[in-house]
Amino acid sequence: MAIVAHTSRFGKISRPILAWAVGLLFFFPIFWMVLTSFKTDADAVKPEFLIFFTPTLENYLNMTENYDYWRFAQNSVITSVFATLFTLAVGIPCAYAMAFNPSRGTKDILMWMLSTKMLPAAAVLYPMTFLTKSLGLFDTHFMIILVLSLINLPIVVWMLFTYFKEIPKDIIEAGKMDGVNTWGEVTEILIPLAWGGIASTALLCFIFCWNEAYWTVRLTTTEAATLSKLIEGNRAPEGLFFGRLSAVSTAAVGPIVVLGWFCQKQLVQGLTFGAVK
Amino acid sequence: MSDRKIPRLLQTPAVVLLLIWMLIPLGMTLYFSFIRYVLNNLRRPEWTTPSLSNWRGFGNYEFVLNSKDFLLAIQNSLFIVGSILFLTVILGVLIAVLINKAFPGQGIVRVLLISPFFVMPAVNAVLWINMILDPVLGLQGLAVDAINSVIDGLQAAPLVGGFFSLWPDFQPISFRATQTSALAVIIMVTWQWTPFAVLIFMTSLQSEDQQQKEAAILDGAGAWSQFRFLTLPHLARPIAIVVMIQAIFHLSLYAEIEIVSRGNGNKNLPYLIGEFANNNIGAASATGIFAVILANIVAIFLLRMIGKTLME
Repeated sequence: MAIVAHTSRFGKISRPILAWAVGLLFFFPIFWMVLTSFKTDADAVKPEFLIFFTPTLENYLNMTENYDYWRFAQNSVITSVFATLFTLAVGIPCAYAMAFNPSRGTKDILMWMLSTKMLPAAAVLYPMTFLTKSLGLFDTHFMIILVLSLINLPIVVWMLFTYFKEIPKDIIEAGKMDGVNTWGEVTEILIPLAWGGIASTALLCFIFCWNEAYWTVRLTTTEAATLSKLIEGNRAPEGLFFGRLSAVSTAAVGPIVVLGWFCQKQLVQGLTFGAVK
Repeated sequence: MSDRKIPRLLQTPAVVLLLIWMLIPLGMTLYFSFIRYVLNNLRRPEWTTPSLSNWRGFGNYEFVLNSKDFLLAIQNSLFIVGSILFLTVILGVLIAVLINKAFPGQGIVRVLLISPFFVMPAVNAVLWINMILDPVLGLQGLAVDAINSVIDGLQAAPLVGGFFSLWPDFQPISFRATQTSALAVIIMVTWQWTPFAVLIFMTSLQSEDQQQKEAAILDGAGAWSQFRFLTLPHLARPIAIVVMIQAIFHLSLYAEIEIVSRGNGNKNLPYLIGEFANNNIGAASATGIFAVILANIVAIFLLRMIGKTLME
């Protein structure tokens, strides 16, 4: 290729070095957090750049005692999983109808759905607190699942819509000819065909649910409190407890960061609503 | 059932749920913003229940507009959002251009770079404010010490020593102090969202017209003019989208502000709403309406851009 021939010396030596430096710099805080999680609390606050030390698993083993980690983690898993499932259950039929039977209003409905995503959550803080408390839903899994679902529904519908649009209409039509009903079209034709798209939508939705930090903090106290709430509750300068704080933080974000690596591409689509290709 | 009805029926749950989700709380906010409504008031107990007889008109809006905190919160919101946008776009473009071409380990660098984006906001804030930015226990103190000792060493050097002896002894900064806590928030959010900008710019760069570029190279265009006249115009649209999406997200920044300083001298609109909502619901609601208006100004432009690509 012509371009390769023109690549300057910069491209051969400096670019990789600079690129690696930038990558490592951005990853450094996470690396530091993981590293600190294996230090004793005494080592963690030593005023030196401590890279070599005797690692300990103590912080992880004591997570239950120190922070009751597993209860919060369990709540995070329950709320995120069920919110994702519920969002898909509502979103798939909706996106299916929009992609294969678009009407004149479809575009407007999609745009309107997105606009709900743009309302600042804080604007409805009191009404939401008031409603959940008066309905007896404050600090319940049900409420958090509902809220997480509704927050993510627009993005999920949007992403599924863009995936479904790629499927040729003829395939669905052929199914109709064979006398398959709507339920069959969705479960037997659409879902198997769009499986990859649905899976990455689900993954992204799950990540957003897990990281949500406004309603999960404001609408819970103990029963349905998620990891966001746990960390937020330990915001104070923990001083001597950097080790254990790092362990619980690493446990809270580790799985999600790894999941995130697998859906980088979908992230672009999901976050820009298909506006960047 | 007819063929037309089924699609509509399938859309109904999603549409109805979102309609309820949007209209009821927002309607309540609008209503509360026009009445006197406080949670505790011994002198005027009738104000503690929402009722039309406590109608206040635009009184809450006037109260909010006249409160010192509101102006500061708006200023601070704009300062924080503006700084983050500026930094993430500049860094995003530079890094995207840097790592877009193949080099050994490109895949790994991408993974390293994108990771901060998936860290939950609460962990991000706790990690940065305690372990990195803390002047005593964090890495900041170490870094400042290191810089000082390098300068000390240079002062003894011949020739340049005179110049470096003019340099001051740097002091670590406390990012929990009122004036600097906004900076801490800017740093941590920039760290988290630069990867987002990089990812989007890279996606867009991949669709850049390579033939045009080759032609430019044959015409003798240098790296800078290729960047300036080909790459940058190509990125105009993604930049606009990154700016708008981030603006909407960061206008409702909350966890970071709460964790860094508990809003101490560093309030933004969501934080101010939270504070008002401890007692003065009328004022909290009026502030909420202002926040909605502010977000809508951005959202209208964004939706218009997205609308154009839809249905293509």
